[in-house]
Amino acid sequence: MNRLPAPFGSRIDRSRPVRFTFEGKFFEGYEGDSIASALAASGQWVLSRSFKYHRPRGILSMTGADANALVQLPSEPNAAGERTPISEGLRVSAQNVNGSLERDRDAVMDRFGRFLPVGFYYRTFMGPRRDSWLKFWEPIIRRKAGLGVVDTKAPHRHFDKTHLHCDVLVVGAGPAGLSAAISAAEAGADVVLCDENPEIGGALTYGRYDPEVLSGLASRLEALPNLKVLTGTVCNGWYEDNWLPLIESDRLHRTRAREVILATGAIEQPAVFRNNDLPGIMLGSAAQRLIRHYGVRPGTSAVVLAANDDGYRTALDLLDAGVSVVELVDPRPAGEAGPLETELRGKGVTIRKGATIEAAEGTVGNRHLARIHVGGSWIACDLLTVSIGQAPAWQLPCQAGGKVGYDASTQAMTITLSVGSVHLAGAVAGVDELQDAIASGRHAAATALMRLGHAVAAEPAVTPKSVRPRYVQPIVADAKGRDFVDFDEDLQVKDLQNATKDGYREIELVKRFTTVGMGPSQGRHSALATARIVADATGRSVGEIGITTARPPVGPETLGVLAGHHEVLERRTALHARHVALKAAMKPVGAWWRPYYYGDASSAEEAVREEILAVREGVGLLDVSTLGKLEIRGPDAGEFLDRLYTMAHANQPVGRVRYCLMLNEMGSVVDDGVAYRMAQDQFYVTATTGAVARVYADMLFWNADWRLKVDVLNLTGAFSGLNVTGPKARQVLKALDSDIDFSRDAFPYLSGRDGMVAGVPVRVMRIGFTGELSYELHCPSSLAPSLWDAVMAAGRPHGLRPYGLEASRILRLEKGHILIGQDTDAITTPDELGFGWAVSKKKPFFVGKRSIEMRARLGQTRKLVGLQFPAGARNIPGESCLVLRSGAPVGQITSVGYSPSLGRHIALAYVHADDQAQGSRVTVKCRDGELVEVPVVAHAFFDPTNARQEI
Amino acid sequence: MPLRLLKYGLSRDYPVSGDIPATPELKPAYDVVIIGGGGHGLSCAHHLAKYHGIRSVAVLEKGYLAGGNTARNTTTIRSNYITAEGIAFYKEGVELFERLSQELDFNVMFSQRGQLTLAHTEATMRSFHMRAEMGKHLGTRTEVVDQKGVEELCPLLNMDYGGPLEILGGLWHADGGTARHDAVAWGYAAQASRRGVEIHQRTEVQGFEVVGDRVQAVKTNRGRVACGQVLIATGGMNYDVALMAGVELPIRCYPLQAMVTQPLKPWLDTLVSSVSLHTYLVQSSRGEVVIGGGSDPYQLYSTRSTLDMKEHLAKGAVHLFPFLQGVRLLRQWAGITDMTPDYSPIMGASPLANLWLDCGWGTWGFKATPVAGKRMAQTIAEGRVPDILKPFALERFETFRLLNEMGATAASH
Amino acid sequence: MKLLTCPMNGPRNIDEFQSFGPVRARPDPNATADRDWSRHLFRAENRKGIVIEWWRHVPSNYFFLAERDLVSNEVIRTFDVSELPERA
Repeated sequence: MNRLPAPFGSRIDRSRPVRFTFEGKFFEGYEGDSIASALAASGQWVLSRSFKYHRPRGILSMTGADANALVQLPSEPNAAGERTPISEGLRVSAQNVNGSLERDRDAVMDRFGRFLPVGFYYRTFMGPRRDSWLKFWEPIIRRKAGLGVVDTKAPHRHFDKTHLHCDVLVVGAGPAGLSAAISAAEAGADVVLCDENPEIGGALTYGRYDPEVLSGLASRLEALPNLKVLTGTVCNGWYEDNWLPLIESDRLHRTRAREVILATGAIEQPAVFRNNDLPGIMLGSAAQRLIRHYGVRPGTSAVVLAANDDGYRTALDLLDAGVSVVELVDPRPAGEAGPLETELRGKGVTIRKGATIEAAEGTVGNRHLARIHVGGSWIACDLLTVSIGQAPAWQLPCQAGGKVGYDASTQAMTITLSVGSVHLAGAVAGVDELQDAIASGRHAAATALMRLGHAVAAEPAVTPKSVRPRYVQPIVADAKGRDFVDFDEDLQVKDLQNATKDGYREIELVKRFTTVGMGPSQGRHSALATARIVADATGRSVGEIGITTARPPVGPETLGVLAGHHEVLERRTALHARHVALKAAMKPVGAWWRPYYYGDASSAEEAVREEILAVREGVGLLDVSTLGKLEIRGPDAGEFLDRLYTMAHANQPVGRVRYCLMLNEMGSVVDDGVAYRMAQDQFYVTATTGAVARVYADMLFWNADWRLKVDVLNLTGAFSGLNVTGPKARQVLKALDSDIDFSRDAFPYLSGRDGMVAGVPVRVMRIGFTGELSYELHCPSSLAPSLWDAVMAAGRPHGLRPYGLEASRILRLEKGHILIGQDTDAITTPDELGFGWAVSKKKPFFVGKRSIEMRARLGQTRKLVGLQFPAGARNIPGESCLVLRSGAPVGQITSVGYSPSLGRHIALAYVHADDQAQGSRVTVKCRDGELVEVPVVAHAFFDPTNARQEI
Repeated sequence: MPLRLLKYGLSRDYPVSGDIPATPELKPAYDVVIIGGGGHGLSCAHHLAKYHGIRSVAVLEKGYLAGGNTARNTTTIRSNYITAEGIAFYKEGVELFERLSQELDFNVMFSQRGQLTLAHTEATMRSFHMRAEMGKHLGTRTEVVDQKGVEELCPLLNMDYGGPLEILGGLWHADGGTARHDAVAWGYAAQASRRGVEIHQRTEVQGFEVVGDRVQAVKTNRGRVACGQVLIATGGMNYDVALMAGVELPIRCYPLQAMVTQPLKPWLDTLVSSVSLHTYLVQSSRGEVVIGGGSDPYQLYSTRSTLDMKEHLAKGAVHLFPFLQGVRLLRQWAGITDMTPDYSPIMGASPLANLWLDCGWGTWGFKATPVAGKRMAQTIAEGRVPDILKPFALERFETFRLLNEMGATAASH
Repeated sequence: MKLLTCPMNGPRNIDEFQSFGPVRARPDPNATADRDWSRHLFRAENRKGIVIEWWRHVPSNYFFLAERDLVSNEVIRTFDVSELPERA
C-alpha cells in the first residue's frame, strides 16, 4: 500500500472505506478518493492503453484532462479517472484495450510503428476494390479507433438548469482568484467564485505553501454573505456578453456576469524524451496532488526533473512523503544556489545541473518506469517527476477574445486581452509568485469594481519581482522515437516534423494532418511543444506559429447537462378531454394534438367512412380550435387587410365573411383563411394552423413600416372553434338556445353574426371546408367545453357525429379545396391554383401584386388540376408521385384519397400548363414505377356547382 | 498489410510526399486565377490541369489551405434533393466521390454508410415521398421507409411511439455518406500542384481591375496578378469578393455551428438527421460523434460559437438517442455560410465576361467539391456553361426559375 | 447568450428577439422595371460592416431597429422606428 498518514490526504476520509472494481479486480479506497488515486494507493498505476500503439498509460497530471486516465464506467464512457470519485461497488474498466489492460493483443502495434507513419491512413487502405475502404478497411479502423463504449441501455438521468446573475464572476479559487473575489465582495459587489476542484485554494491545497495563507483567505471569504462560492463547478466556456456555463455535476448554471475575472492558473507541461509516457513519469504537480490531496505516495525511488522552483519544492514534498529522491536533475546551467537548493542539499539529495533526461526505459511490456538515462548513464527509479515549465490556461481567455503571444525575452507564452469586462489574474496573466498572484487578484478586482461604478482606490498593476527567462527544453527527435508530444493521439516529435515536410506547415494544417491537439486534452499538454517543433522545422518563430484556436468547451461536458430536462412543446385544444372521452385517436399535428378519427384503431377505415357519411347526409362536428385567429381593429383595418390579402376587404360589408389569400413579396401563396367584418373597424381573421405565428409577425412587421392605424391581436389560444356541418346543421343550431337567427335568409352563406349560443358568447361564420351547410362557432376557450356539450346534446336527435382530421381531409378533397403547404409549395402562384377569382384586379397594391404580374408575363409552366381515377382502378399513385410528360417530371400529386361519395379515387396534382384542360390525359408514375394515365377534371369533384353549402 | 505500409516500414527515412509545396513567388500573370484555396477551388484547379491541360493556374488563399468551410463542414455527401436539376447535379457529385480516392491517390475515406432522415410529422413524410419519387426517377438510391424500416436501419433510435415526436418514418438514402474533408482538399492540392498549379497561401485578394466587361487583373496583398479567366470560390466570403468586382450576389451570410463528442467505439453506422429537431448526427471513422443542425437565426460574418446552439443540438441528440446523456462533448465550432434565397448554389457566368462564379454554397457545398470543380473547370476551359450547370445560373433570380431546395436542406446540409 | 437592448424593454437575452433582416429600400412597384424588381426581391444587404436591421421583441411584439456590425456582432445602438433617417 502506498497510503501516507494524515495530514496528507486532505480529500479522503480514512474512516470510510469504499470498495470498487477495476478490470474485474477488487480494490479498496476511501471516500473522497478519485478512481486514479485509489488505484495508485493500491499500486495499480496502469490505467489505460494508448490510442495508436496500445502502450500502457497512467497518471500524467491528476487534472483529468488527458486520455491517459480516461476510464469506462458502466453507463459512462471516457470518465476522467483522476477526477471521478469512487463509490461503493462501482465497476470501472480500462479503455482502448483489445483483450485486457494487462494483456492487450494490440500491444503489438507498438512494434509496427515504423509501418504507420503520420497520416499513413491517407496513403493506403484504398484498394484493391473501389469500395474496399467502406467494406474492409474502415470497419477495422473504426473498431480500433474510439475510446470508451457507450451504454445504449444507460438509465435515464435527471439534469437541470438554473440561472445565476452577478456583478463579478471569478473563475478559479487559487490565490489570485480568492484574492480577487474577496476584494470585490468586500467592496460590496455581488460575487460568484467558482472552482472545478472540490475545495477552494487551488495550488495552495497541494503545493508547498504556508497553510496560513489559505486559512487567512478562507476566513475573510467566510465573512462575506455577498460572495457565493461554487466548488466542484467548472466554468466551461465564455460566450458573448459574459454568458458563461458553470457546470456543477449534473446542473448547468447559465450565468450572466457584468464583469469576469479569469484566474484559471497555468498548465504544467510535460517534457519530451524517449519513453516519456511510461507510467511512473508524471508532472511534479501530479505527484504533489497525490501526496497532499489523497495521501498517496507516488513512488518509492524518484528522480526529479526540475527547471524551476516548483520542481525543487516537489523534491522536498517527496522526501516528506517518504520517497527516496535519488537525484534532482536541473537542466539549467549551474548558478547561485537558492534557499530551496540549499535545503535539498542539506537533506542529502544529489543535484545535477546542466543535464536533462535523455530517455527512459520501462519494466517488461513498458508497464512502469524502470530507469532513466541522464548524462550518458542510467539511473534506476520508479518515479520521475517533471517540472520544466507551464503554459497559462489560455482556453477561457482566448474564447473571450484574448490573443496568445510569445515573449521571446522570457521565452514564455503570454495572453493579452483588450480592455473590457474580462480581466486576468494570477498565473494565467504570467504572474507566478504567490504574493504577486494575490496582488494581481486585487488589481483585477479593483479594475472590475471601477467599471461597475464602485468608488475604489486603484490597485497598482503587478510587475513580477524577478523577470527570468524561463527554461525551454530543446526538442530534438529521438532516433528511436516514442518521444511523445501528444499523449492522447500517440504523436511523436518526428510525426510533427514529417508533417511539415509534406507541406503541412501552418499550425492548423499540422493539427489537421497529424490530429495533434484533437484528443480529449485538446492540446493542454501539447500545444506549446507543437508550436516549438513547427517553428524549428519551418524556420519561423514560436510567436509566428502560434497555437490553434481555442474553442469551447474548456473541458469535456456531458450532452445531458447541456440538454437539461427536455420537454417537447405540446399544445392541446380546450376540447382535448372531450375527444379523449370519445375515444378519439389523437395525433400530433405540428405542436397540436388533434383527433384523427373517433373509435378503435381496428375499425379506423370504417370510422372515417361513417364520419364522412354523417357530414354528407346528416351533420358532423369538428374541433377547429387550432386555426389561427387574429383580430384586426382600428380605423384602417380594411385598408390594412387590402394591402395584406389579394381580395378586397375595405369595401367588405359589416357582417360579411370573405376568403382571404396571402402572398409573399415574391408572389407565392403563403396562407389563406377568412376575414369576418364584425364592425367597420374590426375584422376577425383566420389563418392556417401552421402559419399563424408567421402571419401574425408579418402583419406587425408590415405595419411597423406602413404605420396604419390598426391593432393586431393573436387570439389563437384565447378562442376555440367548432364547425357544425352537414345538411342538418341548421336544425341542430336552431335547437340551441340562442339570440341568433340561423335561417337561410337571415344568415346567408359567407356571412357572420355574433351573439349567444347556449349561454356562450360566440362569433358564428357561415363557412366551411366540407361544401355542406356549415356554421363555424368561435368562442372564448374557457367556454368551449360547455358549448361543445350543448351542441352535442342538441345534435343527438339529428345523429350528429364528431369527426376527425382524416374525414376532414377527404371532405375537403372532394370539394377540391387546397391545403396550404400540401397543395402549394414555395413558388406556387394564385394562377397556378386557378385562383384568379381570389385576386383583386382593381386594388392598386397588395403584397405580391407586382410579382405575380411579372410572373404571369414570364409564362406559366404548371397548373394544379383535379384527377379522377376510374372506379376500381388497380394502381393508385400516392401523394408526391410524379406527373411525367415525355418521360420528364413536370409536376406531382399533392393530395389523393378515396371519395366514398364518388366511389373512386380523386387527386389534386400539378400538371404541365398545356395539359390543364379538362379531359386532357396525363401520365403519373406510381410508387412501384408503373405508369398510369388519368384524365384531368374540375377541382370540385363533388357538387361542382357548390349548391349544398348555400342551402 | 497493404503494400504501401510495407514500403514505409522498410524505408530508412520518412518517405516525403510533399503534398503541398511551399508558396512560390507570385508571377505577373496566369491563364486562370482561382480565388479561394478551399476544396472547390482546388478541385477546379486539378480538373483544369489534368483534363484540360491548363496549367498556368494560381490558386489564391487568404489564410491557410482549405481553412474555411472545407475544414468546418460536417462532410455530408448525398443526392436526395427535391428538384430534378439538383438531384442530377449532386448525383454526379456522389459518383465522383465513389472513385475519388483512386483519382487522387489519396484516401479521402469516402464512407458510404447511408443517410437516414427522420420524419416526425406527416408533412415531412410527404416531402420525403417527393424526394424519393424524384430520386428514384433520376436513378439515385432514395426511398421512404416506414417505422419498422427505421428501426431496422437504426435500432437504437428513440421512436417516441405515442409521443409528440413519434418517428413516423424516414427517407433512406443508401448513396449517402461522409468523407474526410481535409483529405479531399489536400488530395486535390497535391494532384494540382504536381501538374504545375501554383498554390499561394496567405495571399488575400483586395480588389479587381475591371476594364469594360473583363477583369484585367486581381490585386492581392502580395501584388497584382493579370489573369485570363477568374473563378470566385471563396465560400463564406463570396459576397464580399464578388462585390469587389462590382457583382452583387443574392447572398446572406449566417454562421453554421457544429460540435463533436469524445471518441467512442462504433455504435452508429448511418448518418441520422431529424427535420423537426433540426439535429443530425454521424459517427466518424475516428469514433467521434459529429452533431450539427440549422443555421444561426441572424446574419453574421463570425465563427464564434454560442451556448444556445450547443444546448439546442444536445437536446436534439439526447432526444433521438437518450443514452447519449453521459457522453461528453469535446469541441464546438462554426463556419460562415453564404445562403441563397432558394438553397441552391450559383454557378456559371457573372456579368463580367471572364469572371466565373462558384458561389452560394451555403450549408451544402462540401458534397459538391468534386463535381463543382469538374464542371467549373469545363466551363472555364470551354468558355461556355455546360447543360448540367445552366439551371444554377445567377439569372434565375430574374426569371423566378428558382431551384427550391429548402425542404431538402434544413436539417441535413 | 448575447444581449440586445430593446428600446422599450431594456436589455434582454437575444433569444427573446426575432431578426427581420436589414432594412430594405421600398421601391414603387408601379415605377420599377421587371429586372430591378426581381433584383429588389432577391438582393440582400450583406456587406461586411454596420447594417441597420429590423428586430422584433417577441413577448411584447415591439418592432424596432438596431445598428449592428456584421463582422464583430457588436450592437452599436437600438432605436425606435420613428428615429429612422429617411430611407433612400
